[in-house]
Amino acid sequence: MCTCFIVPRDILTKLAQDPLLPPEIRKAAADTARIAHEIRLLRIQALRLTSVASMLETPVSALAAAPAVTVYDCKHTQTLPGTPLGSPEGTEDDSARRTYEETTKVAKFYKDVFGRNSIDNGGMTMMSSIHYGNRFNNAMWNGSQMLYGDGDNSIFIDFTKGNDVIGHELTHGVTQHSLQLEYRDDAGGLNESLSDCFGSMFRQWEKNQDSASADWLIGSDIMGPTARGRNITCLRDMADPAGAHCLAAQPTQYSQVTPGMDPHYSSGPPNLAFCTACKTLGGKSWEKIGQVWYRSLTGFGPSPEMKMPDFANRTRQVASQMFGGTPAVGGAVDAGWKAVGL
Amino acid sequence: MPDGKLWGCSDRNAEVAPERNQRVDRLEIERLGGLAGFGGPGSRIKSKGEVALADLSAADRQAVADLFDKKTSIPPPKPDAFRYRITRQTAEGTQTIEAPEDIVPPALRDSVRDTLE
Repeated sequence: MCTCFIVPRDILTKLAQDPLLPPEIRKAAADTARIAHEIRLLRIQALRLTSVASMLETPVSALAAAPAVTVYDCKHTQTLPGTPLGSPEGTEDDSARRTYEETTKVAKFYKDVFGRNSIDNGGMTMMSSIHYGNRFNNAMWNGSQMLYGDGDNSIFIDFTKGNDVIGHELTHGVTQHSLQLEYRDDAGGLNESLSDCFGSMFRQWEKNQDSASADWLIGSDIMGPTARGRNITCLRDMADPAGAHCLAAQPTQYSQVTPGMDPHYSSGPPNLAFCTACKTLGGKSWEKIGQVWYRSLTGFGPSPEMKMPDFANRTRQVASQMFGGTPAVGGAVDAGWKAVGL
Repeated sequence: MPDGKLWGCSDRNAEVAPERNQRVDRLEIERLGGLAGFGGPGSRIKSKGEVALADLSAADRQAVADLFDKKTSIPPPKPDAFRYRITRQTAEGTQTIEAPEDIVPPALRDSVRDTLE
């Protein structure tokens, strides 16, 4: 289900009504506008279904025991999903093979570490489109699938080269199917931060790194030669959000977060809180602090407008419930949030 | 935007500088957001461009007018998607809106160039 259209529906409607255009063009525009409208309604309904289903006490039956992983090739267009690749794991296209392998590993990470079956915990197919757009400097989750640009080979290189990027995008799907955070204000910053936290954890898990040896950088593997030439080594640094080596430096205190901020900016304080908690406790991030964050994300149903202080208090509560016999966990969580003024 | 507030629309009926009065035939475009946080207050990556209204198709000109007149329904923002800040000069002053990538005509989206500061 694609929610992106190259031609906006309003333009299609105008084209359909333009008497200067040939009848067949007007008909095609009208047909496309009608389909676009219906798909948009379908998406809204799907989001409502997600919300209702997640509130049921009995989970919806699993689609599959483990998710299928599919990869499509957009061939440098913005038409989604693109051409399906029959055997992405065996192709000579490095982007396709990497996307398949890393997405499969993200599925394994969520299954083995958190007991989650795919994005929706029901075996949802993990669908990715690669070579999206022309030298496209972005990757994103569009509500139903991941898409990755190739980068311009100057500021960025192929976005599939960042395993934390792949983990980040898939986690947006997990958030959509759990807390359902809106993408603005505090909730937006939390949404972004959760993707950074789980993207970084996935990267550390793949390397079997502990919190002390991890670099806590986001996007370090997709920075291109021009960026590196200017000593920009990452998109963000969870351990040092305001660092000059970041492409987009962030605030470090919750008091600096105000309504209307871009979520990629306001995610700084919760990123630093998570990193500080992990470093304070020591060991591997996904073993205890990651479990607290995961339970806080998935264990309480939707809370679309959640504020950062509420999430902080929830993690304190969850740490106490899950690791009551190990007070160092709760202490580390508390230290993390206190470091950012919460 | 030093405070980092990047969301929503604004009509800035500020006094129009003389040199900007000469640019009424052009749109200024800035790409924002994305995974990398383009154009944020702490960001070193900017993406800007300009488009001459005369270079746009009639449909694109109408689409832009509808965006400014708030006749286009705005879909909810999607994680890591780009959005575009579009500025135009009118007889009343400068007007700026922000719109998600999905509803911005490709001619405007393609006008920007990414640069590091």
